[in-house]
Amino acid sequence: MNFEIKHSEQLSRGELLLRTFFGWLYIGLPHGFLLFFTGLWGAILSFISFWIILFTGRYPQSFFEFQVGLIRWQIRLNTRMYNLEDGYPAFGVSGTDDKVQIEIPYPESISRGTTLLRLFFGWLYVLIPHGFALLFLGLGVLVSLFLGWWIILFTGKLPVSLHNFVVGTLRWSTRVRLYLGNMTDTYPPFSLD
Amino acid sequence: MEEYYSLPQPEEISEREKEDAMGAYLMMFAAVAIGLPLPIINLIASFIYFYINRKKSKFIHFHSLQSLLSQIPTTIINWGLVVWSVTIFFKDDWKLTPEFWGYAIFAGSATLLYFVYGLIAAYKARQGKMYYFLFFGKIAYEAAFKVDTNSQKIVSEVNKPPF
Repeated sequence: MNFEIKHSEQLSRGELLLRTFFGWLYIGLPHGFLLFFTGLWGAILSFISFWIILFTGRYPQSFFEFQVGLIRWQIRLNTRMYNLEDGYPAFGVSGTDDKVQIEIPYPESISRGTTLLRLFFGWLYVLIPHGFALLFLGLGVLVSLFLGWWIILFTGKLPVSLHNFVVGTLRWSTRVRLYLGNMTDTYPPFSLD
Repeated sequence: MEEYYSLPQPEEISEREKEDAMGAYLMMFAAVAIGLPLPIINLIASFIYFYINRKKSKFIHFHSLQSLLSQIPTTIINWGLVVWSVTIFFKDDWKLTPEFWGYAIFAGSATLLYFVYGLIAAYKARQGKMYYFLFFGKIAYEAAFKVDTNSQKIVSEVNKPPF
């Protein structure tokens, strides 16, 4: 998987303040509304894909591409809400973004055994260890966002280290999501890279 | 005389088309996926699926339309059961009459029968084969494969040669 969000040399203080006070209204509300229904559709496709994998050993390609599009859309939104990038995120599962690059290779086959293992024991060997790590990383992200907000306000720049940490956490959680969503058989590494 | 496009044979249909056609029938499990026991969810999911996929190919168009249309009767039957159950719950303090049980068994059997036929159709679609349901199969076939001669006439009338 290739997951990159380009670091911006300069961020707008005006947009930062606009997002902070009105971001929920002009970004969060319209995107959240549409993502809710698109997410429901994604849940239906994911459920159906589970059964298709059990019988055919393949994740349907159209369903897979939809799920990838959904992930891209959510990450585009997070990128703005976390002040990693300026501008308005594109709507839709086929929307594009120069700054956000997420490439998830389509697996020709998915193991039926691993799919069943995930269903029955996914909570044990994926959710607990990764959830524990992501809980602390999430707290770190909150602190980073708070610090980053002030740094951007005064300097107009987000330090590369903070940017990389937030992007790394998003990358990590996306890998866990892909694994639990039966979109890959590769166990997610405990790594920000 | 009505004209129809020729039917694609299994070896002419891509794996992706087969998967998309199969997926149409599995929309009958949509309500289970989002945990809402409302029969209308399946129908909405089937409609969305049809709307998104209908232009991908005639093979997908046929299967997704057949799936959508064939879910209407079971949706109506199951809605009847939901409404009756809610009425009993709120008005009759859960007094289940023999008539209710009769209808419930009928609705359950109809749904089960549809599930069986739906799964057979999904399996056939995955193999790249046509599978016609009673009544709905013909409608879906007409919609997907019939040559629209009217639109062809309009096109030929708009652009005319200079002589």
